[in-house]
Amino acid sequence: MTSLTPRAVRRGVAAFSAVALAGVVLTACGGTNTSGGGPGPGAPTTLTIANQSANNSFDRSQIGIGHNIQYWMPVYDTLLVKTPEGEIVPNMATEWSYNDDATVLTLTLRDDITFTDGEQFNADAVKANLEYLKEGTGESSYMAASIDEFEVISDTEIALHLSAPDPGLVEYLSVVGGAMASPKSLGSGDPATTAIGSGPYELVEAKPGNEYTYERNDEYWNPDAFPFDEIVIKTILDPTARLNALKSGQVDVGTLLATNVADAEATSGLHVERHSVDWQGLIIGDRGGDTVPALGDVRVRQALNYAFDKQSILDNLTRGEGEVTSQTFNVKSQAYVEELDGSYPFDIERAKELMKEAGYEDGFAVTMPDYANNPQVAPIIEQQLAPLNIDITFEKVAADATVPALLSGDFPMFWFSLGSQGAWQDLRKFAFAESPWNTGHSEDPEASKLLDAAKSTIGDEQDAALRDVNRYVVEQAWMAPWYRANALLAVKDGIDAEPQAGNIVPWIRNFAPAD
Amino acid sequence: MLTFIIRRLLAGIVLVFVIATLTFLLSYGSAADVARNILGENASADQVVAKNAELGLDRPLLAQYFSWLAHALRGDFGVSWFSNESVTQMIANRFPVTLSMVVLAIVVTAIISLSFGVVAAVRGGWVDHVLQFVSVAGFAIPNFWLALMLVILFALTLTVLPATGYVPLEDGPVAWATSLVLPVTSLVVGGVASAAQQIRGAFIDVLDLDYVRTLQARGLGRRSVLLRHVLRNAAPSALIVLSLQFIAQLGGAVVIEKIFALPGLGTLTVNSAIQGDTPALMGVVVVLVVVVVIVNLLIDLVGGWINPKVRLQ
Repeated sequence: MTSLTPRAVRRGVAAFSAVALAGVVLTACGGTNTSGGGPGPGAPTTLTIANQSANNSFDRSQIGIGHNIQYWMPVYDTLLVKTPEGEIVPNMATEWSYNDDATVLTLTLRDDITFTDGEQFNADAVKANLEYLKEGTGESSYMAASIDEFEVISDTEIALHLSAPDPGLVEYLSVVGGAMASPKSLGSGDPATTAIGSGPYELVEAKPGNEYTYERNDEYWNPDAFPFDEIVIKTILDPTARLNALKSGQVDVGTLLATNVADAEATSGLHVERHSVDWQGLIIGDRGGDTVPALGDVRVRQALNYAFDKQSILDNLTRGEGEVTSQTFNVKSQAYVEELDGSYPFDIERAKELMKEAGYEDGFAVTMPDYANNPQVAPIIEQQLAPLNIDITFEKVAADATVPALLSGDFPMFWFSLGSQGAWQDLRKFAFAESPWNTGHSEDPEASKLLDAAKSTIGDEQDAALRDVNRYVVEQAWMAPWYRANALLAVKDGIDAEPQAGNIVPWIRNFAPAD
Repeated sequence: MLTFIIRRLLAGIVLVFVIATLTFLLSYGSAADVARNILGENASADQVVAKNAELGLDRPLLAQYFSWLAHALRGDFGVSWFSNESVTQMIANRFPVTLSMVVLAIVVTAIISLSFGVVAAVRGGWVDHVLQFVSVAGFAIPNFWLALMLVILFALTLTVLPATGYVPLEDGPVAWATSLVLPVTSLVVGGVASAAQQIRGAFIDVLDLDYVRTLQARGLGRRSVLLRHVLRNAAPSALIVLSLQFIAQLGGAVVIEKIFALPGLGTLTVNSAIQGDTPALMGVVVVLVVVVVIVNLLIDLVGGWINPKVRLQ
């Protein structure tokens, strides 16, 4: 009679263990890191990037900046290029010039570019792309909003007639505004997987939410600017997963959280690049004092600026990854003024003095948001403003309702993290009565005069006027910035990644094998 | 048997309907600001109103519900509000990822749990002690922590397995399996801890019954008694445990997919919920509920086939 004897049990367990172990060894021998590139002998020919955002669409009217830019820039070349230092240089457009009152921008185009579907790049293609952007509902449609008329002068020349001077237009033509898709592809094809341009690469495979593969476009007119033969972009949303992919060599580049930096820097074969794009701090939407009269007084707003121990907050929230500041423009912006960084050092006594001068020694009451996905912010604000007797009522705001809630004007002031791109792009966000982040829609005649001066000038004169606007904004304490947060990028040794002015991640053209 | 199947099917349909309706009311009821989220901060108020109208969010909630239901019954879950991708296509792309992981996990869980559970029940001794320990440890260890430890050991230290990513089966079965070893292992440990213990208990309960002693007294072989009689009577309990494990592992897939950057339904669910991409969220919820209903039905059918007494319950 057979039975489950102890010997039979031991044999069974041993057999099972052997099979399991063999299975692991065999699958491992089938290939490790099979879903990504890795280091190899000689210069790498494939660049593998971990992107922390999913691509929303390749539809030319829906593409964006920030993390999204890496998905479309390999395929859609741009009319102009912004260098890592922030200078605008020619690209598909070789020259550009404004008329005397900056209402007509004339572009001269290259005549040797063909889209990968055979369509010719010319002035009609530029017109088609910009019209498509303008009429679309993408978040970057404002980049073409000021263009009233597209005058096709010849195949290689187009004049953009503007409804009013737009100091941001030239910069827009280096990003979404200037992205060129094949005119035949506009509005056609599956936007999740189809992108047809004239850029340095072609999209050969798209697995939405997972991985995108781009191979060199052999017809591209400027191949030397793009040393890699292949680009692979993996969507890795979780920061720990991204770090693990970097450490294991599955990807060459990926963004980091401040809490991961030490781990990345301790990993042999990785280095960390830093640059600042976003600023964090308070936006004072009710600077007109309509809801909270105290906020209408510049002394109260200045007191708020003095009240925060910015260095301490920076050290605790981001482990020191950033620089304290009192202005909202990034260091490569035309409007940046270095001395404004230290305009409001931490000085609680000065803050109290200002509150007393303004007649608010006993403080005031205000409602502020308490973010579900940033719960650490509310206690900091409450603690830092307590000495000024500011009574804060916090209201919970869900993650997917954050932006609409803030833009609604329900909160007279609130903490936020805003990106800083080009100077005019930044000013559009908050400086005008209709600006989205001017949530109280306050009008300021003095600011309007300064903005008009910036709008009606070009070149160095415009840069000076933009700096004047910045000085005014800081002096009037429209915001209470805490710091510029570092954008952190881990890069495999052997690859150079130059941070891009005004964008959270480098553009594809900013990557190259080291030497 | 036919009545049994029809009853289970009808119950499943009601369940799908109820859960889908509740999810719809919760999701669409709070979708008022999604137009602003989609269009971004620079959109004008008119553009936001136009977008709301385009998405049908300006209609009464019930009207939206019946419209959604009418399309869903035809398998059309609409398009993602954020990517304009067909929700059906999104789910079709991601479903195999989650299914691969969870099915592999449940199969491995079943094999290991049954083996350990039966041996522990029949032999006791050190096997039983090991099982007790593994069960306690398995319950105590969160699967996300285990996943991270496995990554550190096998991917970062030993570099024998990938830290992240999913390789589709059509790209190579070995690469596919390799990409799933660590995620599946993370799910299996907790599953075995729970299921083996319960299977052991189910077997012990049946082994203690008089008829088993009677069968052995009549001279039937131990193996024959176990496989032809004890197993058939203990199977329904074991199958229920495994079906519950399947549901648990489906839920656990959300965290595991995040850690291993797997583009599955779990990731889609979380992202859709955070973004407020309600069509995608509704599609995923309906599909997952249907999967659970089908699995439970299959488990019931198998249980009924193995043990006819179950069909009468």
